[in-house]
Amino acid sequence: MQLIVNGLIAGSLAALMAGGLALVYGVLGVFNLALGQLSLIGGMTAWWLHGPMELPLLPSILGGIFVGGIVTWITFECTVAPFYRRDRFLPLVTTIAWSMILDAFILLVFQEYPRSILTNEKHFLDLGTVRFSLEQLALVLVTFIFISAVAWMLHSTSFGRKIRATVQHADAARSLGISSSFLHRVVFIASGVLAACGGIYMGIDQNLTPTIAFPITIKAYAAVIAGGKDNFWGTILAAYLIAMIEQFAVGAPWFFGAYIPVGYQQTVALVFIIVILLIKPSGLFSRQLRTT
Amino acid sequence: MNFILHIICVIAMTLPNILGFNLIFGKGKIFHFGPIGVSLIAAYASFLTLNATGSYLVAIAIGSTFALLASALFAWLSFRLDPDGLGILSIAAHLAIINVVLNWSSFTGGAMGIPKIPRMPYLDSLPTFTITVSTIAICWIIFLFVLEHSAFGRQLQALAEHEWYAKALGINRIRIHMIAFFIGGIGALLTNIFYHQYIHLVYLSDFGYPVFIYFVMIVVAGRPGSVLGVTLSTILIVTLKEAVRFIPLPSHILGPVRLLIFGVILLAAVWVQRDSLFPKKRTI
Repeated sequence: MQLIVNGLIAGSLAALMAGGLALVYGVLGVFNLALGQLSLIGGMTAWWLHGPMELPLLPSILGGIFVGGIVTWITFECTVAPFYRRDRFLPLVTTIAWSMILDAFILLVFQEYPRSILTNEKHFLDLGTVRFSLEQLALVLVTFIFISAVAWMLHSTSFGRKIRATVQHADAARSLGISSSFLHRVVFIASGVLAACGGIYMGIDQNLTPTIAFPITIKAYAAVIAGGKDNFWGTILAAYLIAMIEQFAVGAPWFFGAYIPVGYQQTVALVFIIVILLIKPSGLFSRQLRTT
Repeated sequence: MNFILHIICVIAMTLPNILGFNLIFGKGKIFHFGPIGVSLIAAYASFLTLNATGSYLVAIAIGSTFALLASALFAWLSFRLDPDGLGILSIAAHLAIINVVLNWSSFTGGAMGIPKIPRMPYLDSLPTFTITVSTIAICWIIFLFVLEHSAFGRQLQALAEHEWYAKALGINRIRIHMIAFFIGGIGALLTNIFYHQYIHLVYLSDFGYPVFIYFVMIVVAGRPGSVLGVTLSTILIVTLKEAVRFIPLPSHILGPVRLLIFGVILLAAVWVQRDSLFPKKRTI
């Protein structure tokens, strides 16, 4: 039971970040390899506001989200907008360059120390054999609310219909008067805001170090690819699935009661995804697109 | 003088791996983002064998076998996945390999790496080492230049430009791409065999993600697919990387400044070549 709870906590973080990426990939068709750095900037800003600046938690979180959104917007204007209409693979390289620049910025401003937003302030809850903190519970609930809000937006608003139309057929959507450039900006910035939320989530639940940016990006993209790329719900499910695999890989006894060492947790999940994609390259939850 | 020889050595040792990657990513436009994973496997297989047997010949044989196997694994991924999926999952495979090496410390040395690597016989002095690695690098450049202008080079380019048309003309994608990956693997082996005996150490940090970005930067700056262009950019960027050491800044600032400089170079290189980096398919 504890493993399932741990999986839910880790999966919520992955879902938060991968969900935004799935929308970006669906609408723009590009990958943003600076995602981990964007999440770190959101988290580090919240830490700076709450720690050294001694602001209350809520304004610090809002500040982190705001700065994450602004940096994502700059990322879009500098590394995606000038390139993605020429070739959708160009942003793959430009965001790699941007990730280096952001890494340098993070190291210069926040330095290479682990940063935790809540130090010794957590409140734990014991329910029989299961133990979790109230902050973790809040984070899981906030993620659920976020995902529900995105689902409502996608399926019950005209903006959501425009997004779905662009995902299904970008040219047809444009010919119907949908402003793709506005939509692209909004969706990209939204993905950065979700990433910043993920960074703040990590800063509250564990701690933030500059070295985690890259594995975060890759795990989020592994969820997007395993889920079927432009399938939002597939991505969310894949994010939770990867997190559960990571927890059960090292938390449950395998052959003759032996445990896999914790250090291999990430490897097991990545190898599982690679094997799955070798068997089904289109992803676990891929679907047929409408064609004429 | 020694510093100049050192720079020549570093350039010559870097070239085989970079040019191999250039053949796959630059010429073939295959989003293989795991060249450092292949390097890691080649280096650890070679030097763990060297420690066990004491023979460079056996070490190179085992190292090349593992380099080719790792290349075949990445090639297999490229046949199964679409370009962006391959890009992400080859990085994922690289991360998974790093994780295994880091955690299997009883066998690989973990984060401490493999220390006290002896040099090959007759390579103890810096001038001899420089002459040897420079000769190998020049031979490798000539080999790849000839290959680029051969039928193989044209077939690889045709597959990169329009895979379906190329296949319709009878070009066997699996054979051509497999050869490209194998050449990349041999390049990785050549670089790692010499680099780690030069510094007497196999260290896990030499196989991190920043090294891959450094590779991408050199290939993009030198015009992807061009052997001579990438050779020139390797010379310039390696010299710049080594020269940055002399900027009078504390080490905790120097690292980020180096990242910043290289990030800006890569962004500028893509900006300059934004129309030619991934050229539009030729049409009638």
